[in-house]
Amino acid sequence: MPERVKTDMGGATAALDYDAELMLRVKEGDGASFGLLLEKHRSPVVHFLYRMVQNHAVAEELAQEVFLRVYRSRSSYEPTARFTTWLFRIATHLALNSLRDGKNERLQERLDRDSAEMPARQVADSRPSVEQKMVYQARLEEVRQAVAALPEKQRAAVLMHKYEEMEYSQIARVLRCSESAVKSLLFRAYETLRARLAHMA
Amino acid sequence: MKCPIETRDSAEVLLAYCTRKLDAERTATLERHMEICPACREFASGQRAVWEALDAWEAAPVRLDFDRRLYRRIDREVSWWQLLVRPLRPTLVRQGLPIAAAACLVVVAGLLLERPASAPPAAEPQSAQVEAVQPDQVEHALDAMHMLGEFSYRVRGDAADSKM
Repeated sequence: MPERVKTDMGGATAALDYDAELMLRVKEGDGASFGLLLEKHRSPVVHFLYRMVQNHAVAEELAQEVFLRVYRSRSSYEPTARFTTWLFRIATHLALNSLRDGKNERLQERLDRDSAEMPARQVADSRPSVEQKMVYQARLEEVRQAVAALPEKQRAAVLMHKYEEMEYSQIARVLRCSESAVKSLLFRAYETLRARLAHMA
Repeated sequence: MKCPIETRDSAEVLLAYCTRKLDAERTATLERHMEICPACREFASGQRAVWEALDAWEAAPVRLDFDRRLYRRIDREVSWWQLLVRPLRPTLVRQGLPIAAAACLVVVAGLLLERPASAPPAAEPQSAQVEAVQPDQVEHALDAMHMLGEFSYRVRGDAADSKM
């Protein structure tokens, strides 16, 4: 299926991404298109939220709210930006609200509890030794702590840049700031992460 | 080449290099520069380490019942709305219009009956005004009340039909 298509909207030809096309079909009452959008974006949204709030249950709950909001807004949806920009704007907004609601109160508790929740990573040896597991868990914990310590907007920018591979311009639209502000956010965030994680090389 | 470390705007070149998003030509230029610039070399190796560390952070898979829970919430929301509107819908359709029309008539009749009190005093003597105006108004009011009576009879008839 084409990723981007040309569509005529009210006389003006506008390039729409395929997801926006699907969303327009949802607007017309096509439930199957909503299913396709959910299938495609479920994991990226949950993973983004998980890395933002660092709690899997909270992340899934927030992701449910994201898709519920998408569904609720179907009748007023206008494809003024890429669908993922809109989707991640909702997700970021909810994540930031969630962090502010329980800021710093449960974070350490989450980090501790989630260490046990995380699936054991497959390393080259199919049966990693206890020592390997411990080293991996310690490194992972360090990464999580380093990301959690970033200011919220820097964290969101890094996660979208690193894991969603978004362009600066798209991150800027999600965070409602200028492209140069995003570059500055990313530069400072990576600077902090380098200081904390460079020894892992 | 100007050292990318010196300006933050150019540092995106280094970030792009570390994520392998830089085109071949600019990659070659940057690599030549890095041979003589320890700051850029250090930046690149540090950034690569960060990248690898972040790669190691895998998110847990989404629970299998995610969609089912979402659709249940959507259904619940839709059914709440239907539950709210359903009992009102037949009433609104069958009786809403006659009731609204009857209310309009009552308002019009009320306005007509109230007019003498609110009307400004005319230049002519009041006794003449009473003789000339009041019979007309009474007639209008009687017409309106007659129409109202007829209307409420029909409304009652409709309601009786709907019950059957």
